[in-house]
This record gives sequence, structure tokens and C-alpha cells, in this order.
Amino acid sequence: MIWWIILGVLVFVAVGIVGIYNNFVQLRQNVRNGWSQIDVQLKRRHDLIPNLVETAKGYMAHERATLENVIKARQQAVDASGIKNKQEAENFLSSTLRSLFAVVENYPNLKADQQMMRLHEELTSTENKIAFARQYYNDETARYNTATQTFPNNVVAGLFHFSQMDFFEIKDPAHKEAPNVKF
Amino acid sequence: MPYSFTQIEKDKSKVIGFVFAFLISLYFLTAWVIYFAVKFYVLLDSLQEEWAYSSTVNPLADLISIEETLLIFLIATFCGFIHWFVIITNLVPKILRSVGAQELDPKDSYHQMFQNIIEEVSIATGGKKIRGVVAPTMAMNAFAVADFEGRATIGITEGLLSRLSRAQIEAVVGHEAAHIVSGDCLSTTVISSLFGLYTDMLSGMQRMMFSGGSRGRGRGQGVVLIVFVILQLANLMASIMRMFIFRQREFRADAIAVRLTRDPLALAGALYTISRRWRGSGVGGEYLEAIFMMNPKFSRLDENTGFFSDLFSTHPPVKKRLDVLLNMAHAETSALEEEFSKQKLKPRQIPSEMSVAQTPLAGRASEWIIYKDGQWLGPYGLEQLTGLGWLQPDSWIKQVGGERVTHAFEDQQLSKVFKQGSSVDQVSCPKCQTALSQFPYEGLSILKCPYCLGILVKSDDIFKILSREEIGLSENIQKIANGLEKELATRRSRWNDKVQKINTVQLLTCPVCRNAAVKMVRMFYSDAYRIEIDKCVFCDNNWFDKDEIEVLQYLVEKMTQTNPGG
Repeated sequence: MIWWIILGVLVFVAVGIVGIYNNFVQLRQNVRNGWSQIDVQLKRRHDLIPNLVETAKGYMAHERATLENVIKARQQAVDASGIKNKQEAENFLSSTLRSLFAVVENYPNLKADQQMMRLHEELTSTENKIAFARQYYNDETARYNTATQTFPNNVVAGLFHFSQMDFFEIKDPAHKEAPNVKF
Repeated sequence: MPYSFTQIEKDKSKVIGFVFAFLISLYFLTAWVIYFAVKFYVLLDSLQEEWAYSSTVNPLADLISIEETLLIFLIATFCGFIHWFVIITNLVPKILRSVGAQELDPKDSYHQMFQNIIEEVSIATGGKKIRGVVAPTMAMNAFAVADFEGRATIGITEGLLSRLSRAQIEAVVGHEAAHIVSGDCLSTTVISSLFGLYTDMLSGMQRMMFSGGSRGRGRGQGVVLIVFVILQLANLMASIMRMFIFRQREFRADAIAVRLTRDPLALAGALYTISRRWRGSGVGGEYLEAIFMMNPKFSRLDENTGFFSDLFSTHPPVKKRLDVLLNMAHAETSALEEEFSKQKLKPRQIPSEMSVAQTPLAGRASEWIIYKDGQWLGPYGLEQLTGLGWLQPDSWIKQVGGERVTHAFEDQQLSKVFKQGSSVDQVSCPKCQTALSQFPYEGLSILKCPYCLGILVKSDDIFKILSREEIGLSENIQKIANGLEKELATRRSRWNDKVQKINTVQLLTCPVCRNAAVKMVRMFYSDAYRIEIDKCVFCDNNWFDKDEIEVLQYLVEKMTQTNPGG
């Protein structure tokens, strides 16, 4: 009798472990999928920037410094490897792009240029895509991390080495501004 | 866990299975009642006899036997299956046709933006594939449909695409994507099209018959009656089916949309703007109300709460939706009203270059006159000759200022025209025969004559131009438009009485079809906006003379601003 009970408990535990393990694999796959999305969009942005600079050059000869900053930041972002480095380089690139578009506001001819309008839309879209991809990645990472930390999942996580994943954070001060709250 | 699709798949099939069972029982009940009535009527005499003899037994009880009921059930199931599969096959294309939706045009910058937004939102959902379409109407609305293969389509109207800000369109697309990922899109699509599609087709037929009703009396009237009865039945069924569509799904979609795009204020702004403007009643597809973001028909049922509205309406009250969203953003309704009024007064951003000639006329070096059909035509410049469809290498020509009459191919400059050979695919101005050039206007690329500044526009594109308010209209245009309106006010009555006599010699040949025998039709754009245009009835191209499209734009805009909504 007692053996039957022990066997029952063992089977119960084994089924539980398999379930938890499969859940982890699913969650981790989501996180990886999210990361690959970010990667695709970052690459797209890197491809767009040379065109943008080329178009802007013709109109704004006096803003050489701003344009060169963008080019430099792009090169850094392309060369960066590892999540932490990539984050920093990409955030820096974002801020230089923002300052470029702020300057573009002063050139009505450039703003009305068909090519420029198209590029602007493409870049806005890519920025949004990066933001959404990051949002998805972070959400999934949070789900994964929570799953690895709660009991009894943490035991299984330790057993099969499901370690914590890093978030893709924004270090840019412009993004961290508190929203205007009215009561 | 809003994005875990597996859980949702199960719920989805539950609702749809339920609807299918309901459909079959509906058929069964109707068939049974009809059969009962018929049998009762036929056997009335013998029944009365029976009643007379035995008052204790209820003779109705064994009027229909178990076997007959079973047979009716089988037939009803068969009919239900056929109905189901007729609707289900090619469901999405059928709905899109009913709404009049079109594929995105990659050359149109507005459509490009919409495509980008869809891709962005698709990433936010974790990579759900979504197709985008637009409905060429100035109404403001959006819809989502999906089929059993999991292919999803989001459609928005041109009016919405051009009147909302980018963030607001993003929020709207987020809302529609939320319907898709939460799975209620499929059930809504199926349920509302089970009877809605028929209603749509039948009401179209009815309208057609009423408009041409005066001719085919007699047999035609019978058909009209039958169509009318079926229409009423289908309408009834459709409203019963709406019980299965829960208005709560809109709240959930709003919530998921905010989760996806993180911008409750933009969604609130979009909802507010749509609710204050025309949502598209009267346009095809309004019977499929449930697939739209907001009910195209303004229905009092929607704005009410309580048991009855909860059961039969398809959309929750706008105010309630706004309250929830504003609460999320810690904002007040006044902020939306302010933004809405600002939107109306928004100055147009880019000054129009429509009236600026692209090639200065002084640049023309030499001109020729050409002998055709017994008379000399011209003089034409080199560019104009390029566009002349009828200029042949052996046409007789004479250079202006020159003495000699020669064949066209003998002239060195002119021989280039033939060598280019481009006159075949090039479209030329119907007035001055110059090759038309591509001209970017309101996000579209239209054909414009560099000399007379007239433009050639497809009928669908007119809608787009009219709903977009990007290009600034000069004071000159406003003056012309106001003048035209004044003139109309005084002359309208006379115009209604008499059809204007049109000199057929002056009619233009369609530059695309190039069929000189069939001229373009000269007509007013519409009864309300009496701008004279030339329309080709074959290829649906419209010719606007200089400034005319801008005057039309101004008039339409003025009209929609003085009485918004519909």
C-alpha cells in the first residue's frame, strides 16, 4: 500500500516537472523570438540612415556636425555586440537621430522634399517597430523571469539551468520623463 | 497573459460551435412550424370531424409523428450545412467586396504609412501576420475580419486614414489587432455574415429595383415583394444572431489596444473624432455592423445600457468607452474636445504648387504647324509633339518662321520624337497634347499637364484627394470657390430646369483610351458641387482643368466643417 502511495507521488512530481519544463521552453522561445524581431528592426534602421544623411546633405550644408554625429553613432551601433553594448549604442543613435530631426524642422524645403518625407516616415515606422519589439521582448522576458522565480518552478529552473534573462532597457533621459498627470 | 493564443483558440471554437448548433435548430424549428401549419391546413376538415367525436384526446399531439420530425431534422441539418458552407467559403473576399475595400497602393504615401503602422502593431502582438486594405469612402471607420485559416485583415476608410494623426491611426489599428489576437474577430466575422451578407446583397437588389421600378410593372412587382419579405426575414435573423456578439468585446479590445500601443489618449482621441463625424451609414456593408470599430449606423440601442441593449446591441456606448480610456490616461473629456476643435482648424501644412508651371513656356525653342485633315493645326512645341498620338512620320509639317513644308521625318529635331517611341505608353494632355508628367499631390502621384495645368485623376483617387487636407489652398482658390457658390445660389433654379447644351466639337478625347470616336462625358462632379469635369466612362479617368480640383476640395471641406457628422 505504502509503495503505491510513494509511486503515485513520484508520478505526480514527474508529470509536474515535465509540465513546468515545457512551459519554460515555450517562454524562452518567445523571448528569443522577441529578440530576433528587435535585431531585424535595428538592422533596418542601420540601412536607412545612410540614405537619410545623403538626402539631408544637399539641403543642410551648415549642419555637418550633426550629420557626422549620426554617421558615427550608426557605425558604433553596427559594431556593438552583446545586449548591454547594443543597448547603449542604439540609445545613443536614437538621441542623435532625434536631434537631426529637430534641426530638419528649420529647413522647410528639406521637410517638403518627397524623398525626405518618405525617409522620415520609414524611420518613424522603424523607431516604432523597435519600440514595440522591445516592449514585446520585455513583456516576454518578465513573464519568463517571473516563471523561473516562483515556487516550485525555481527548483526546476535550477535543475535545468534556466537562468534569468536581461531586459532591453532605455537609458535615454528623454524617454524617462514622467507623464503629465492631471487630477 | 493576453498573447497566449492556445487558450483563445478553445474559446473561439466553443462560440462558433454554439452558433452552428443555433443555426441548425433555427432551420429545424422553422421547417417544423411550416410543416405543421401546412399539414394542419390540409387536414383541417378531417380534424374537425375528429374533434367532434372525441373531445378528450388532443388530436394535435399526433399530427406529426416522430419519423416525420426526424426527417425534418435531417433536411434542416442539410440546409443548415449548405448555408454554413456557402457563407464560409471565400468569406473574407466576400466581405471585402461588400464593403468595397481595395488593396493598398504602394505608391500612395498615406497607404504606405498605413502599411507601416500595421507592421508595427503586428510586431507588438509578437508577429501576427495582418493584411491591410482601405475602403475608398470619406466616412470614418475601421474593421477587422478573419477566417478559419487564421488569415486576418484590417481595413480602414480613406476618411479615417487622412483625418486622424499617426498616433491615432496606430491606436485604431491596435484596437482592430486586439480583436484579432483575442480571437473574437473570427466569431464576429462569421456570425455577422451568416445573415448580414444576404441582407447586404438583397438590399442592393431592392434599391436597384426601386430605382428602375417604373418600367417593369406586373411581374417585377412580385419579385420586389418577395425580395422585401426575404429581406425582412434576414434582417430579423441577423438581429437575433447579434445576441451572440457581446458588446463587452469592444472594451476588451480597447484594453488590449492600450496594452499594445501604450497610448490610451490617442485611442480616446480617435474614438471621439469618429463619434463626432460621419461613420459611414448608407455605404455598402453597413449591415455587417459588428465588424466595425464603431457602429456605422447611429443606433440608440448602442448608447443605452440595460438588459435589452446588452443583449441585442453590437457596440457599447461611446461615452463609456471614452471614460475608461480617459481614466487610464488621467485626462478629461475637455482635453479631447479641445484637440478635436484644433484639428478642425488645423492649417494645411504644405503650400500647393499645383498652379506653378513646371517648364517655363519661354524655354520653347521652335514650334511647328502640322497639316491634318485639310487644315493646319498648331503651333506645337517639341514636348507637345511627343504626346501627339496622331503625328505620323509622313505627316506634312512646317516650322514656324520657316519656309519649307516637309515630311515630319525629314526634320532633324522632329525625327527624335519618333525615335523615342515613347508616345505609346505616354499619356498626353487632352487639351494641348503635351505629355503629362507625374505630379505628387496629397500623397498621390497624379498626371498633370505642364502647360495648361489640368490634371487627370482616377475616380477612386478623387475620394482620396477630397479627404486629405495636407496641401494648403491659396486665397485665390478660396475666391474662385466662393464666387462659384454665389453664382450657383442665383442660377441653381435655372440649371435644374434646363440641360445645358454641349458643343460636341469641344469634347475631349480620353487620353488613356485614345478612342477619338467616343469622347469623354462633360458633367458636373455632383449636383451639390457643380465643378465641370470631363469623365471617361470606360477607364474611369477624370479631367480637371486648372484649379478645379482645388476649388472642389475647398467646397467639400467647407461643407464638412459647417455640418459635420451625418
